[in-house]
Amino acid sequence: METVLAIEDLNVYRGAYAAVQNVSFTLKAGTDTALIGPNGAGKSTLVKAILGILPRHSGSIALLGQSVDRSRHLPSRLQQQIAYLPQNFLFDRGIPMTVAELVDLGWGKSGLRLPWEARPQRVRAVQEALAQVKASHLINQPIKGLSGGEIKRVLLAYCIVRPRRLLILDEAPAGLDFQSEAEFYQLLNQLKSDYGWAILQISHDLDIVSRHCDRVICLNRSIICQGSPDTVLLPENLVAAYSPEFTRYHHNH
Amino acid sequence: MFTEEITRLIELLQFPFMQRALWGGLILGLLGGLLGSFAILRQLSFFSHTVGHAALLGIVLGVLLNLDPTLTLLPFTVLFGLGVIYLIDQTDLWSDTVLNIVFSASLASAVIALSFVKSYQGNLMNLLFGDILAIRYGDLWLSLAVLIVAIASLGLTLWAQTLLTLHEEMAKAQGINVRLHQTWFVILLSLAVAVAIKAVGVLLVNAFLVIPAATAKLLSQQFTAFIVLSSVIGAVSAVAGIVTSAALNVSSGPSIVVAQFILFVFAVLFSRFNQQLKRDR
Repeated sequence: METVLAIEDLNVYRGAYAAVQNVSFTLKAGTDTALIGPNGAGKSTLVKAILGILPRHSGSIALLGQSVDRSRHLPSRLQQQIAYLPQNFLFDRGIPMTVAELVDLGWGKSGLRLPWEARPQRVRAVQEALAQVKASHLINQPIKGLSGGEIKRVLLAYCIVRPRRLLILDEAPAGLDFQSEAEFYQLLNQLKSDYGWAILQISHDLDIVSRHCDRVICLNRSIICQGSPDTVLLPENLVAAYSPEFTRYHHNH
Repeated sequence: MFTEEITRLIELLQFPFMQRALWGGLILGLLGGLLGSFAILRQLSFFSHTVGHAALLGIVLGVLLNLDPTLTLLPFTVLFGLGVIYLIDQTDLWSDTVLNIVFSASLASAVIALSFVKSYQGNLMNLLFGDILAIRYGDLWLSLAVLIVAIASLGLTLWAQTLLTLHEEMAKAQGINVRLHQTWFVILLSLAVAVAIKAVGVLLVNAFLVIPAATAKLLSQQFTAFIVLSSVIGAVSAVAGIVTSAALNVSSGPSIVVAQFILFVFAVLFSRFNQQLKRDR
């Protein structure tokens, strides 16, 4: 399997605080990897460093075999290969924008372009993406009227509106009902198995992680352990990552 | 009824100064509506208010240096706008705190600088409330140039500007150079404030940016429709304000702002009525 993302000895500081220390891992095409750990473990910081939102202190990041320069943001060609859903999608709910317009934003590319460039392809891509997340009926709805679950679906459509290689989700399925969550993971499975996307998702729900992810990285500033859910989600590892009081661990193997 | 006013209006429309004023209102209305639509969503309305008031200092500096105030105003507002953004970035204070500090300091400096002016032929009331009837061809061309640059640059980067307006972190993750786009927008906003000062003055310039955009926001469901509607409302209210001021022989700048406000009130009532209709269905 092709390596989509390779991280080697990554260190990220937030001010004087070492938020991520000596982190190394790889993500292969067609796999779903969960990043778990307690609050303040550096999960979101790690993701932001991968995306070029936060600068890294040392270490290397290679995306699709191409090393990413430490002093710069990701080159736009590589950036287009990544889709990202942040933890808190807080925005002005009064912003006048339809679902179609929001999803279309995911199609965009850097640089100058006329607003009507590739309009027919974009319209088709938006329709297909919304159909994939079962939200075609929302296409002309204003986003201010959407429920939390509908917003999640629409944002997933925003991520998949163009072909990518890496999807990064920061607690994206949180707040979905049981049915929506099942459909959400069905779609992720399709993306990784049919299209070879690598998925990296931050999660606090260890039950979901054990059921849906192929690999788990347990982080508490540095990596405590990584491997398959069977080998990582063990009480001794979780106690080491979270705290000695971590006893309420259940999952359904 | 109104015969006298209409006759006077028709006579006035023959004069070049009136025609220039209408063109000026149209251009500045479009410009204010266009930039205001992004500015209110990015919560930059107090920023443009601050730059507008600081412009007084730019004008006074021009007078003190014996230069055309228009020439000093443009670079002054741009540098001032960039300086304010730099100050906001350099502190962990809320942006409205920094803006309040800078707003008061620049106004105080302008008043002190004004006391050094021995003789100024311009009218202080015109500085404060504007006089679009006094707009010159040079001002018109300058405003038109700023409008064309604004339309071209925002049009060509609409995707980046929209995503940045919606969610800054997602824009960064998509490879958008957020700092570059924000800085460019602040420059455009500062230039728009500078060219609109002549029409509506220091005290009312922010209305050109905020009221048409707020009105359009109440009436729009789509982002592109919102931007277009905001620009159209800006232009229509400016022309309506100028025509009314000529017919009733009252100040032009305040008339434009009152026209904008009337449209805003109609939009509030219409959107409430629309919501009620949807609820009743």
